Amino acid sequence: MEPVLTEAARAEAPATDDSPRAADSATSTAREKERRLIAWLAVRSSVILGFSGGVDSAYLACVALEAIGPSRFLAVIGRSPSYPDAQWDAARALAAKFDIPVLEVRTHEMLDPRYVANPSNRCYFCKTELWSVLRAVADERGFDTIIDGTNADDATDWRPGRQAADEHAVSSPLAELGFTKDEIRALSKARGLPTWSQPSSPCLSSRLPYGSAVTIERLRQVERAESALRALGIDGDLRVRHHGDLARVEISADRLDEWLAPPRVHAITAAVREAGFARVAMDLRGFRSGSLNVIAPAGA
Amino acid sequence: MSAPSLSQALAAHGVEARVEARGALAVITVPNGVAERLRDAALRRAVVDLAAKHGFTTVALEMASATDERAALSGH
Repeated sequence: MEPVLTEAARAEAPATDDSPRAADSATSTAREKERRLIAWLAVRSSVILGFSGGVDSAYLACVALEAIGPSRFLAVIGRSPSYPDAQWDAARALAAKFDIPVLEVRTHEMLDPRYVANPSNRCYFCKTELWSVLRAVADERGFDTIIDGTNADDATDWRPGRQAADEHAVSSPLAELGFTKDEIRALSKARGLPTWSQPSSPCLSSRLPYGSAVTIERLRQVERAESALRALGIDGDLRVRHHGDLARVEISADRLDEWLAPPRVHAITAAVREAGFARVAMDLRGFRSGSLNVIAPAGA
Repeated sequence: MSAPSLSQALAAHGVEARVEARGALAVITVPNGVAERLRDAALRRAVVDLAAKHGFTTVALEMASATDERAALSGH
């Protein structure tokens, strides 16, 4: 396995110290956490993981499989309209490549009017549905522990879904053991997981301003637009924010000069309109996680 | 938040733009050719800062297709 040096460790290291010793120190910090994670998992008799195929749950799935084996571990994908098809494909491909035992279940948060109304605690209602379904699977199959991929960095975000996890006794070992996102990426890279450099991928409903109803058509518009923009070659962070007739596109700030060139502007505009938006606008600040939280839902 | 005052501030900064306020989101529309100037990171930062000074948390540049631009040039 190649050396692991986390971004956090780089930031904390003295500016003049890029010696192998500094790298070894960071490597041992991350790997010590991984050893503790394996020990944490090994004492559970059986574990179910809420598996999205994202950076965190992919890493956790591989470690859990190593720690307790396939007969005591199950990764469960909850499918719903807010889960993009591309992510589903990637999750299944990853599971196949790493022999992760997977079960797919349907979740029905779209039938809950409290979720559809899209309040600021929308995630609570979604996660309540997800964990209820996984709890039923666990009970039916005799699994005693349910875990998710929440990490230590997530504790600083607005995460109403956490309450639902607590109510359903879902454990978050990555957060509990202090894994940062950077450490998870570094350890994923060391394990050869293709997710190590994958951008974060929250559910499609996060593209709709709070108060703007979550509908299947709106989710499909966003999914089609983001898929079309990926096809144009936009990689890294990307969000299409749904403002009614207008799509606000967020890409990494350091790529804006490239994608504001006229031929590319025309291509983006055509692609997003084809996805069902009448108007297309590029956010001039670039991608920001949770940017809709700072905009009132006017015009939605 | 005031779209007209942001529009004036942008003009004073050399960016002719129509501003539409959608809550705290400002959508700016600029004439052909001006959009390309916003490839410059310093100018983008200036626009974002001006928008913030006028109460907008977010500013986005409305984009046009090639067909839109040809139509604008021909006066349709």
